[in-house]
Amino acid sequence: MTALRPSRVAGLGPMLIVALIAAALYWPLMLAANVGPAGRTLASGAELDCRTALACASQLRNPVVPAPAQLAQGFVRLSTPVTSPLALPYNVGVTAGETLLGLLLATVTGIGLALLLVASQAFERATLPWLVASQTVPVVAIAPMLAVLLGQYGVQGFLPKAIIAAYIAFFPVAVGMSRGLRSADPLHLDLMRTYHASSAQTYRLLRFPASLPHLFTALKVAVTSALVGSIVAEISTISFSGLGKMLAENSRASDTVALWVIMGYGAVLGVTLVALVNALERWVTPWSRR
Amino acid sequence: MTYTNPSPQVSPTLGEPPIVSIRDLQKVFPVPGGETVALKDANLSIQRGEFISLIGPSGCGKTTLLRLMADLEQPTGGELLIAGRPADEARRERQYGYVFQAPALMEWRTVLKNVLLPLEVMNVPGDRVARAREMLKLVGLEKFERNYPWQLSGGMQQRVSIARALAFDPPLLFMDEPFGALDEITREHLNLELLRLWRETGKTVIFVTHSIPEAVFLSTRVVVMTARPGRIEGVVDIDLPHPRSDDTREDPRFFTLATEIRELLKKGHA
Amino acid sequence: MTPARTLAARPGGTLLTAAALLIGVGGLLLAALTLPTPGEGTPPDARAWLAGILALLAVGAFGVRGAAQGESRAARTLPAAFTLLLAVLGTEALLRAYAVPAGLIPTPGRVLSALWTARSVLLQDTYTTFVLEALLGFLAGTVLGLALALLVVRFRFLERGLLPYAALFSSIPIVALAPVIVKAVGLDWPSKTVVVAVTVLFPVVVGAVRGLQSASRLHLDLMHTYAATPTQTFRDVRVPGALPFVFGALKVASTLALISAIVAEFFGTNGHGLGFRIQIEVGRFGLDVVWAAIVLASIAGIAFFALVSAAEARLLPRRS
Ligand SMILES: Nc1ncnc2c1ncn2[C@@H]1O[C@H](COP(=O)(O)OP(=O)(O)O)[C@@H](O)[C@H]1O
Ligand SMILES: [Mg+2]
Repeated sequence: MTALRPSRVAGLGPMLIVALIAAALYWPLMLAANVGPAGRTLASGAELDCRTALACASQLRNPVVPAPAQLAQGFVRLSTPVTSPLALPYNVGVTAGETLLGLLLATVTGIGLALLLVASQAFERATLPWLVASQTVPVVAIAPMLAVLLGQYGVQGFLPKAIIAAYIAFFPVAVGMSRGLRSADPLHLDLMRTYHASSAQTYRLLRFPASLPHLFTALKVAVTSALVGSIVAEISTISFSGLGKMLAENSRASDTVALWVIMGYGAVLGVTLVALVNALERWVTPWSRR
Repeated sequence: MTYTNPSPQVSPTLGEPPIVSIRDLQKVFPVPGGETVALKDANLSIQRGEFISLIGPSGCGKTTLLRLMADLEQPTGGELLIAGRPADEARRERQYGYVFQAPALMEWRTVLKNVLLPLEVMNVPGDRVARAREMLKLVGLEKFERNYPWQLSGGMQQRVSIARALAFDPPLLFMDEPFGALDEITREHLNLELLRLWRETGKTVIFVTHSIPEAVFLSTRVVVMTARPGRIEGVVDIDLPHPRSDDTREDPRFFTLATEIRELLKKGHA
Repeated sequence: MTPARTLAARPGGTLLTAAALLIGVGGLLLAALTLPTPGEGTPPDARAWLAGILALLAVGAFGVRGAAQGESRAARTLPAAFTLLLAVLGTEALLRAYAVPAGLIPTPGRVLSALWTARSVLLQDTYTTFVLEALLGFLAGTVLGLALALLVVRFRFLERGLLPYAALFSSIPIVALAPVIVKAVGLDWPSKTVVVAVTVLFPVVVGAVRGLQSASRLHLDLMHTYAATPTQTFRDVRVPGALPFVFGALKVASTLALISAIVAEFFGTNGHGLGFRIQIEVGRFGLDVVWAAIVLASIAGIAFFALVSAAEARLLPRRS
């Protein structure tokens, strides 16, 4: 994200040009990708409004890469009516809600665990290696099973997805926060000692504020993981709404155009959530020079 | 010999116990595969109101001595009394303020809030903000109270950290090379300000430096230390008149004293 | 500066610790062996067993606490090892005491035996997911990412025009990307390799560019005074300065790679892969195989990370 900063305005020109080049390249690439399947469809004798493979490449029902017009149609089809529970805006909202609730849960438990880790050396030595190792482990792998398990115990609807999102997001928060709580400047710790400050005062006035940059770095990782977690949870359980449910449905129906549109929504949601955490960071840490 | 006017602060206060009293003080650090003798057989007695400089090459134990007095480090031998009590008791009674080599301001607090920090921690009664503002005025930074530390120059930051150390009005001030990282002009300016503060507040200052002119200019006595192992080589009385000014630096006596200290330092080096 | 820990010097402390660990581990092992496997034999009196198991766990935790005192090598490594041992044995005993059906939570013992009985399938899955998808995709993404980074650093235009997109793209959830790519490339493993390559690409580009630009002005000026050629400057200043950043990005990417491979498999495979195995077995309540797959995925994840760290240790000058 730093890359965006110094050139917010001046950099828009090159960004625009690159976008235009990408757009110009899109059409031939799309044709190249679709021409094979189009030829095969024609050969199979399907009813199509076009005669050559090249002409059909932009009109396939399930294209490898959809044509711009198809994407636009798909976007309108999936986005309207805007308030419908079957349309994407509502489902994006559901997933966003699950993710944010999950992130909140993850933050609370992560900070709690971090406090324990910092307070007790024995606890740290007993568990930290596993916490760190768990960060290199594909935790998503557990999500489908956790979803089933939670369902068995009657946790249903919104909550299990948020819990799975929290479960995936909580390790980076715990590790980041415990790193943060330890990151206090030794000079500041000495200073608090010369004031004969209590341990609670040292935490409140020094360790917590000093840990905030670390916490937010972790939260930026965590929010993306939480989003992946809630979508995977939606896929793995019987869900009636959410991006994951739409992905699973359209993946089964092989509706490529819909998958592309959903990807677009997912990208926007991902970028928005990270931007939200960034905004929160700027609000909570007004002293930071950027 | 020129006539020297003994400063009012050093007039021997009969009967009053020294504010710092050190006997055979020793500090040994365990290091991988042995130990470092950071301080050996240190003896020193400091009266209330003195301005003492500790001078010596780096690694001679100046910081260690200061940290021992501040109860940030435990001695491995000898005796150390601050205001007549053990160092940890003196710390709990908030007898001293400590200024580090780096300003060590908290970057999430504004200048004013940084000065407020000790008052908050110590739950000092009364109008704390007024007190903090007064301190900022003392160091000439009242216009910057809303700024964050990074918006200030190094010299200004160090002045804030001095204001912070003075805020809770401790009788004793420990300063560890506070101006070490500053340019010569700023440093001389802050030296003058520090002397003014010292005269106005009547505090006892223990000041670490490795600049001979700075030590001579500021102090009532200079403690010369040498390295390997760290020990006190000698103590030089600075009988230059008060108040001191830029003219003091031109005083022939200033050069005599500086030479005396230099000789002591060389002796320790040999 | 924490005050010196005095507990280490406590006389008899070591003996007490060893006894507590022995009682905790041994007791739990005994309990696990005594209790019948869920579904076989008569269900035991869960409450009484729970009290006993919790007591043993507490004794074990006390032992772990004792073992963590001091600064010795043992004090740093033993607590974690014993914690894992206690957790596994405790879980086994508790699941047996409550006769939790294997379709809900399998006991660690069952998972172990599933690892053995399904070994050929699981090893094939691990090979597909770890080697063919994650590792190959990681290599492809890294090579492509480094090449792109070089271009971006070389041409200022690309830095302004392309780099912001890299940062943007890296916040797209993999789950949304995967179905599209799987549909486009096909069900066989290469589609997952592509997903992995795409997810690895962006952090590597961003990290490498940041690293290549991190060269200090002073060092560049120094090379200038030597009249060094651009190639020399690049080799002697820019690349060494970039390596820590690149490895930072690669470590993140190694974790991402495995996650992406597994998630991508949720959207279609030809019947191989750990993600596929997990999904299919969850549906059939074969949770012992699911856990076995998770164990293998975890081992692969840690191995992957260790691999990158080892490469880093070899290539970066040691600092301390
Ligand atoms: N925490 C420590 N552990 C080990 N050795 C130390 C420690 N602090 C200081 N020393 C050693 O003690 C000696 C004196 O250090 P110090 O008091 O910092 O010197 P000065 O402030 O005069 O430069 C040095 O040799 C230094 O390496
Ligand atoms: Mg020092």
